[in-house]
Amino acid sequence: MSERENKPNTSNWFMWFDVRHRDIGDWAFVLHRLTALGLVLYLGMHLIVLGTLTLGPEAFNSFIELAHNPLFIFGELLVVAAALYHGLNGLRVGLTSFGVAIPYQKQLWYVVMAIAVIGSIIFAISMFTA
Amino acid sequence: MNNSISPPKSGQNTWLWFLKMVTGLVIVLVLSVHLIVNHYLPEGGLMRYEDVIAYFSNPLVVLMEIIFLVTVVPHALIGVRSIILDLNPSKGSTRLINWILALVGATAIIYGIWLALTVASLA
Amino acid sequence: MSTSKWDVTFLVYRKKGQGTPHYDEFTIKVNPDEYVLDAIERIWAYQDRSLVFAHACHHSTCGACGMRVNGVEKLTCITLIRDVTADGGKVKVDPLRNFPIISDLTVDMGVLYTRMDEVGHRPVLPLSEEPAEPGVKPVKIAAEGDIIRLADCIECGLCISACPIANTTSGYLGPAVLAGALQHGLDSDQHLFSLVEGENGVWRCHSAFECTEVCPSYVEPAGKIMELRKQVIWKRIFGIAK
Repeated sequence: MSERENKPNTSNWFMWFDVRHRDIGDWAFVLHRLTALGLVLYLGMHLIVLGTLTLGPEAFNSFIELAHNPLFIFGELLVVAAALYHGLNGLRVGLTSFGVAIPYQKQLWYVVMAIAVIGSIIFAISMFTA
Repeated sequence: MNNSISPPKSGQNTWLWFLKMVTGLVIVLVLSVHLIVNHYLPEGGLMRYEDVIAYFSNPLVVLMEIIFLVTVVPHALIGVRSIILDLNPSKGSTRLINWILALVGATAIIYGIWLALTVASLA
Repeated sequence: MSTSKWDVTFLVYRKKGQGTPHYDEFTIKVNPDEYVLDAIERIWAYQDRSLVFAHACHHSTCGACGMRVNGVEKLTCITLIRDVTADGGKVKVDPLRNFPIISDLTVDMGVLYTRMDEVGHRPVLPLSEEPAEPGVKPVKIAAEGDIIRLADCIECGLCISACPIANTTSGYLGPAVLAGALQHGLDSDQHLFSLVEGENGVWRCHSAFECTEVCPSYVEPAGKIMELRKQVIWKRIFGIAK
């Protein structure tokens, strides 16, 4: 029995994101976690950037100049898409966690994805044509 | 309920999770309003300093932004904590992480409220 | 006769002691309507007697033959070769994840059994205590006596292997154990309650639903975890025992 100090054959954190051979629920979890990390990063940057408002018009407007860059707009679009997905899937996780619609969690995820994708496309059009 | 029978750590996890759910729901509602009000009501969105200042002159907007702030910061940090817990930290590191996250959260909320009130006062 | 046989190459995970893990290839003739376990037994019988794997009942009741077949957790005794490969194809066989490997395809599930005991899960139940399922009327027991049914969970460990959280946190109780904890309900037992809502309990689940996906015995551990969450929330937050 003393030889049983073998560690479990678990793996590293990056295996969270390995969806090979896994099902819908795992995809939902992986996307939820990735968008969470992205959104936390954005939240921090957002708070810092808005701080330039207190430094007067020049500081803020020079930042807004930067924000007209298409690459920047694409970044913003990613944030919107992540927020849409995270929010909607959050509702799915919340509902199922209170016992609602557990047998339909996959269908719910398709609904989440459909709304998130369509919503992101609408935002993309309005952001890039503005 | 008498909570004294069970270890205090346990209840903490339940409350944190519950808080994450409630704040999540509030965020979904507030953010929907935020996105619509922020980007669609003003022509072309809030893209100039003066626009933002004028926008913040409305006390309802300030209130909404502060509600958003005080829900999104705990939600984000509880989420970060649960991801860190999945990395299997030791009990000591978990305690340290709890303190760091609480400190970061308090700082972010105080700074955010100061920022919102300052910008509101510029109008 | 021979035309109905398939040539299938099995890539079998091998690890002995502290040795480095590798895959051995065995190509054998199989009937596609045999099960993966049949093929592994034949590999052991005719090609490599040092291959270590576990099995007992051959009919999905004992829960011993769980392995990962092409990356997915399966009871190999009920996994048709036809369903996982084609003639001339390959089948990759790995041990379950998140348990210590004893040798080759055999893992040490001791921690699972210990935890099942700790939450008071009973593998067999009197029929009168059969958990009520939605839409199914409880069985009326006419005569006195111990009519025993097996609890759904066969403690095969597939769900623990499939769980992304168990993958990084060995302390997490895991799907089967949490599902087992629901057997009695939480009201009766304060120790059980604190285990379930503790740092390695229900709040560690991140709703990937992989446990339910691989469960061969319709336990639906994810659903049970959600049911526990509901009970814990009611009791802890609102002070109502449900």
